[in-house]
Amino acid sequence: MNVAPLARRPLGCLKTTLRQARQHKIFSRSMATEVQATTSTPKSPPSQGPDQNFYRLVDKKTKSVRSAFALYPQPLAAAGKPLSPPSTTNPVAALHEFQIKKLDPTGARTALFARTREAAKVGDILLVTHRRGGEPFAGVCLSIRRAGIDTAVLLRNHIGKVGVEMWFKVYNRNVAGIEIVKRRLKRARRARLTYMRKPKHDMGSVAEFVSAWRKSRRVFQTKGAKGKAGAAAGAGGKKKK
Amino acid sequence: MIQLKSMLNCIDNSGAAIVECAMVIGQKRHASIGDRIVVVVQKQRDAGAAGMAAASGAKVKRGDIRHAVVVRTKQKVTRRDGSCIKFDDNACVLINKSGDPIGSRINGVVGMELRKKKWSRILSMAPSQA
Repeated sequence: MNVAPLARRPLGCLKTTLRQARQHKIFSRSMATEVQATTSTPKSPPSQGPDQNFYRLVDKKTKSVRSAFALYPQPLAAAGKPLSPPSTTNPVAALHEFQIKKLDPTGARTALFARTREAAKVGDILLVTHRRGGEPFAGVCLSIRRAGIDTAVLLRNHIGKVGVEMWFKVYNRNVAGIEIVKRRLKRARRARLTYMRKPKHDMGSVAEFVSAWRKSRRVFQTKGAKGKAGAAAGAGGKKKK
Repeated sequence: MIQLKSMLNCIDNSGAAIVECAMVIGQKRHASIGDRIVVVVQKQRDAGAAGMAAASGAKVKRGDIRHAVVVRTKQKVTRRDGSCIKFDDNACVLINKSGDPIGSRINGVVGMELRKKKWSRILSMAPSQA
């Protein structure tokens, strides 16, 4: 067919010739499969309609039927049965639950900020021990942001006459422990105590509460185990790992 | 979020009390903790031991243009682990052109972000870090 132009320009239309050859090959193959398809019609899945025979190819690798209007079979799970329909439960909540289980296997962190009577609430004075970064940070809890794995607490304190506020993620691995230093006498009637930033309501430094709490815990400590063991013994009660 | 015209407390003993931001150094819109700024001294610290301060000679005077490092911001600063820190005021420490602090002491808490920005001189001078 293309011999004459090929002879005239040996390399000029080599590409075109190759393309045509490929087209021709595909065409011939489709013709062959067309014949074969008629014989294997009962084997094909019942979901395929009669118009599926419009254009068919047999993929050499997968041996599956591919056509321009392909109707692929349902994907199979590892066990060999068809995949179940998507679950009706909230996937984000499920993911949070999975992550919380991973980061808080004992459930202590969850319990500390659950909606229970004995959990920490806004207005309580909390002490957060950080795994790195030196001194533990104490402060009055202004708000608790409950958001699954992102649950965080806002603490406010005064360090040398300057107010300092810090957010801590409850499920952070770097947060080694959160302890309740002092509970609020009466339940706070607000969810967020932002009014405590105002000078009129500001609590000031909570250092004396923390030192008093440290002193009170030292009562239970034996005289011999002063120092390093004391911290560990005292931490046994409420320390969250 | 320190920008042009922001007023900051100066918390070292260089002699300045209140300074005004004149420029943020580097290609940034706002300065945060650990960033370098250019300031104008607006108010001198002369209260308290006035005689002593006068005797030692305040190192900076009103109207001086100096470099400074921001050490506290009212704007929340988020850390790598998701925790945030926020102070009740904006504060800075005066430095000279080569980055050494002008004062010899700092009174007040400074942010931990200074460590990441390589201001270890200022961090070691500060009484507490948060």
